Amino acid sequence: MPVDRRSDAAVHIALALALVAALIASACLGAFTFTPARIASYVAQSAGWIPAREADALGRSVFFQLRLPRVLLAALTGAVLGVSGTLMQGLFRNPIVEPGLAGTSAGAALGASLIFVLGGGAGALAFSAPLGAFAVPVLAFTGAFGATILVYRISSSFGKVNVFTLLLAGIAVNAVCGAGTGFLSYVARDPQARNITFWSLGTFTTADWRGVALVGVCFVVCFTIALGYAKPLNALMLGEDEAAYLGTDPRRLIARLLVVNTVMVAATTAMVGVIAFVGLVVPHVLRMMRSSSYSFLLPGSALLGATMMVVVDIVAREVIPPAELPIGIITAVIGAPVFLWILLREQRKGSPAYYG
Amino acid sequence: MDELHGDELNGAELHGVELRNVSFRAGGARILDSVSARFEPGKLNVVLGPNGAGKSTLLRIATGLTRPSSGDVRYDGQSIAALAPEPLARRRAVLSQHVDLAFSLAVADVVMMGRYPHYGRVPTARDVDIVSRALALVGMEDKREQPYPTLSGGEQQKVHLARVLAQIWSDDGDAGAMSGAQRFLFLDEPTSGLDVHYQLHILNVVRALLSPSLTVVAVLHDLNMAFEYGDHFVLLERGTVAVTADDARAIPAEVLERVFRVRARRMHDSTTTSDLWRFEL
Repeated sequence: MPVDRRSDAAVHIALALALVAALIASACLGAFTFTPARIASYVAQSAGWIPAREADALGRSVFFQLRLPRVLLAALTGAVLGVSGTLMQGLFRNPIVEPGLAGTSAGAALGASLIFVLGGGAGALAFSAPLGAFAVPVLAFTGAFGATILVYRISSSFGKVNVFTLLLAGIAVNAVCGAGTGFLSYVARDPQARNITFWSLGTFTTADWRGVALVGVCFVVCFTIALGYAKPLNALMLGEDEAAYLGTDPRRLIARLLVVNTVMVAATTAMVGVIAFVGLVVPHVLRMMRSSSYSFLLPGSALLGATMMVVVDIVAREVIPPAELPIGIITAVIGAPVFLWILLREQRKGSPAYYG
Repeated sequence: MDELHGDELNGAELHGVELRNVSFRAGGARILDSVSARFEPGKLNVVLGPNGAGKSTLLRIATGLTRPSSGDVRYDGQSIAALAPEPLARRRAVLSQHVDLAFSLAVADVVMMGRYPHYGRVPTARDVDIVSRALALVGMEDKREQPYPTLSGGEQQKVHLARVLAQIWSDDGDAGAMSGAQRFLFLDEPTSGLDVHYQLHILNVVRALLSPSLTVVAVLHDLNMAFEYGDHFVLLERGTVAVTADDARAIPAEVLERVFRVRARRMHDSTTTSDLWRFEL
């Protein structure tokens, strides 16, 4: 918020500290429990600061090949979904939009699962498909972009977004994409591809360094671009005409940010599946905490989204060991009540956001 | 009408807003048909006309939001089609009739939006200062930290007036809000839906700002209020200019009766020595 930037920064610092704490907790807890001292020792051994101990080989391998990529992928996924929720709510000018509701994630999942038909199946998720390493993300992007544009076009007319049409279009697009993904995963031979839970509820069990790298690069690039649009996103709160009077080109802004948003959501969905409600809850909590100004919300939603997802991942691992809960079950338990609450509140106050 | 076409100048001396043969067609319908008009600085220029006459379209074209099908809009003799959105936004601001805010912001944050075309990522001390001055000018300085949605409709419109004034506020500190380079303020039915206090307040604030470097163009619905506050009148009728006048009394009753499809009677208010219109079906 331009009026008082110092308290914005204070909230951001608090959120960053919470994220660090969550990352450390998540790195320690799980089927293998690592103490922070042991993790420090592993890091020192791998870096060559102290001689590598043979007895630690298994522990090191579990930590670096399974635990660490998983923790980082969870954090990146949360950051992407949080920022995406913030961006989409800004573009649709509505507090109930997020990638799970507007079809972005479902479209990405459908696109990614197409690889099992085009690429013949086996190992597609591990980037060994004939179309090359970028086939999955590219297909995911195509699906996500198509679905988002469809929902946006149907729900917006004359520069305003109608919530009823938005929800209905979202339901329809989600249903079609979900059915398509379900069909493809039944046709597929790859056991992992056949795992419908992966596509509909999300999981971090398949996390590896390639996934971390892909999502990480997409997030950093997209987030950096999005940060530059805080002012026009604020202006867009007044509607497209007013934003234009303030010197932005609203159509260009919406088109650019839809692409930015879709790139990072598609990459993430291709790696971890569809995880709903994070993008809804994160901006909402931040708005209640402090402000709706996007100069505050964008960094805040990256930090809070990451923290929330890392905590959810800890819960997913700890509730029914040695089995794991799908991520989407936990996010839905937290997110769905928040969603209903926002909807009821918007309805009661008859706000413009509700009636479009 | 003749005076409008009389200026074969090269535009250098020409301050204000000029529409040259502006036409606009949408879906086969002619919304505006070769409209020419001149809005001079230092005056409150008023566009009048019944619903559907093309006032809103005229304003959207005059502000640069919509491109005309044919014809040209010039500010100070320069065609605005050539101007990029941000430089245009630093000189031209628009107060619309009803603006919704999708999410809650503090009043000062809404007014700060007017400074967006002027600063990069972080507002300067000057931007913060202008926001305070603009809020003070509309009498809302004590509500600067209040959430915008908690304000009444009239207060919200005052906030937007402060926002659009901040947008075109003078760069030169104390020389007056609207001194210096030429600026353009458009008001699109700024008082509709407001009670009489806010209607008068908003028009008074705007009138007090008039200067040789500020051109104001307002679309107004209330004819009596328009005639009381306006200095120059353009009456639209089905997409064309029916009458242009500098003096409200020069507009014949028959024209008002025809354009607005009412019967009009001129009354004299002896206390203010001004004329009032009374309309009947």
